[in-house]
Amino acid sequence: MDLRYSEQQEILKKSAKDFLTKECPKAKVRELENDAKGYDPALWQKMGELGWLGFNIPEDYEGMGYSFEDLAMHIEEVGKNILPGPYISTVVNTFAIVEAGTEEQKKDLLPKISNGNCILTLAWLEENGLFDASGITLKATQKGNDYVLNGTKLFVDGAHVAHKMIVVARTKDGSGPDGITLFLVDAKAAGIKTEVIPTIALDHLCEVVFKDVTVPAKSVLGKVDKGWAILQMLIRKGSILKSAESFGGLQAVFEMTVAYAKERIQYDRPIGAFQALQHKMSDMWIALGTSKFLLYEAAWKESEGEPSAKEASMTKAYINETYKLITALGVKLHGGIGTSSDHDVPLYYRRAKAADTAYGSTDYHRELVAQLIGMK
Amino acid sequence: MDFRLTEEQVARRKEIYKVCEELEKKKPKSYVGFESQFDNQEGWDFHRYCAREFAKRGWLALGWPKEYGGTGTMMDKVLLAEARGYYDLPGSDIFGVSMLAPTLLAAGSEEIKREFLPKIASAEIMFCELWSEPNAGSDLAGMTSTAVRKGDEFIVNGQKTWNTGAHFADWGFGVYKSDPTAKKHHNLTFILNDMKDKGVTVKGIPYMNGSHVYNEVYLDDVHMSAKYIVGQENEGWAVVNVLAGFERSNMDMVYGLVKAQEEFVNFCNETKRNGKPLSHDPMVRNKIAEFACSIEAVRTLAYRVADQQNRNEMGLMDAASVKVFASELLEKFGQIATDLLGPFGQVKHSKWAKLNGSAEYNYQACFVPIVSMGTNEIQRNIIAWYGLGLPRMK
Repeated sequence: MDLRYSEQQEILKKSAKDFLTKECPKAKVRELENDAKGYDPALWQKMGELGWLGFNIPEDYEGMGYSFEDLAMHIEEVGKNILPGPYISTVVNTFAIVEAGTEEQKKDLLPKISNGNCILTLAWLEENGLFDASGITLKATQKGNDYVLNGTKLFVDGAHVAHKMIVVARTKDGSGPDGITLFLVDAKAAGIKTEVIPTIALDHLCEVVFKDVTVPAKSVLGKVDKGWAILQMLIRKGSILKSAESFGGLQAVFEMTVAYAKERIQYDRPIGAFQALQHKMSDMWIALGTSKFLLYEAAWKESEGEPSAKEASMTKAYINETYKLITALGVKLHGGIGTSSDHDVPLYYRRAKAADTAYGSTDYHRELVAQLIGMK
Repeated sequence: MDFRLTEEQVARRKEIYKVCEELEKKKPKSYVGFESQFDNQEGWDFHRYCAREFAKRGWLALGWPKEYGGTGTMMDKVLLAEARGYYDLPGSDIFGVSMLAPTLLAAGSEEIKREFLPKIASAEIMFCELWSEPNAGSDLAGMTSTAVRKGDEFIVNGQKTWNTGAHFADWGFGVYKSDPTAKKHHNLTFILNDMKDKGVTVKGIPYMNGSHVYNEVYLDDVHMSAKYIVGQENEGWAVVNVLAGFERSNMDMVYGLVKAQEEFVNFCNETKRNGKPLSHDPMVRNKIAEFACSIEAVRTLAYRVADQQNRNEMGLMDAASVKVFASELLEKFGQIATDLLGPFGQVKHSKWAKLNGSAEYNYQACFVPIVSMGTNEIQRNIIAWYGLGLPRMK
């Protein structure tokens, strides 16, 4: 057992921090929230050059081939800073191509993703808001060598700027896991209409309407009717990486809050001298500490190829809540200034809510945990 | 990162679990929860029996230096705490093995180490702590009991309180005001005494559930030998700090929770309500899953503390987090479990009890870890002052 960062991880964390501090200050974060695109294409290019978009792509496909654990450590730093745009979506969804793609799909897409020339998103959720298989109703009907997609997807991260979308569709009647197929679809294909949904984090989640969108059979990702297992893998990995981002965010708010409590003077002393505030900050510390190794354990298991479904769901369900708790306390301990849109803490507070439903809500993951700990 | 135990540690863990599993079969029926060794003679006898079984294997001296009879590693100590917690076994004297032994190793004279460490390792003597007083709880500055030097002895007078297990303990360790004129933090002496010394009177304070865990200890002209001073005369405060500084992974409490979760999952699977298993109720599933996530969170942090201990690094702030979080989780579990049992949640260990009465037990016993060893509020102060660097209360 050795629960310390490796040297490589220390370096990764530092370089991510240095890069984002310089390239993505909070002024840019705010600017991008209200920008039509919601991300900075020049910054995306630089990230591609640095290898950030190819961390989890094998070297054979022009990626870096880093371990999942190293990727999680890197994303923790991304979350600490905040990076607007479909970065985590692209990285997570890349796993579907790496693990389930055909050689042709890999050769075509992985180098493009790695070099910053392909934004990849996932069209999963629908109007019913369900995270399980029964939520998938968008129809893909076979027509000769093609499939025709009809339906509406919601909360699709950056669909308006994406190049490729993984669309989760029904290819067989029913509501269970069987009969779900994933398609790799050009985001600008004829019949696709996207519209940005105004969300709490202003993070450009989209409504995507598919009207008679025709895709060739070779765009099926994995096997026909057997896409649910791939989606489960994305949910599992996405849960860990989204939690890593959240864990970075909650650390940032914790640090800002403690620093502010030391410098803000009221009643002739720093407000951090008052026990009412001290104990809340101690509770933040406890929530942070208990989140940390739960996340690292899940990331490590995933990295080692060990069964990690339980740990991933526990991590997501737990950190969903600690991120909200810590950011809410962060706002309150800052007082009036903490409620201002000019202040950094609310940036994180809003993102804590957004992160909460990405890759499955707390209740969804608790249900998975209940199954995995043996509740019949 | 590497969360894996070495092959050697895996084998060791198996061995320790096996011994504990066997010991559990000999547990008396009246032994319901984690403080039961103090409640009656049967429990105390079981405590001593387990302690002797551990001592035989060298497990009460884990991680000590070899020259004082040490065996194994710090990680072995963690594994034993884990297994004891899981099987809810006593047998490791928290005061002697966990608190005093490392303090003696760090601050005791050669003579005192040679006299007491072997007796702690062999389970020959059990200790109690004579620390708090009626007006000195969290704040030791309010201490009034005195130790007046007379040649080779101290004459000790005063009253101590909340002394867990003092009614069974063989020896005590305490702090007393030894120099009324000296400044704060330089006026206390840390002394060991035989609990059979003349002038020592132990009186029980019944816990809220009626069990006998805590005591008051009255000291009337008790003669304590100066050779039993730990550290320097009048410098007992420094010893207190050494003792308080020995972080505990609290792995036993954490694994008590792990076991509680397993038992509760089984109970929900097997118990029908309105013709359906309790485990089919979405609210029950959600609550138990939430509990399971929290347990795994604190289990991983406790391992972080153990990992640091194992390489002789200090993780006091993480250890404080584990103490606060695990004890409050136990409180929460007592509430959830008694709620879900409906009218049976109130039943003590008896014919109508569910889960052997453990829910009712935890509902009350949870406050023992919450208020002892520095209340959770004091732990939060410690985190704020020493961990986060916030200004100390005057």
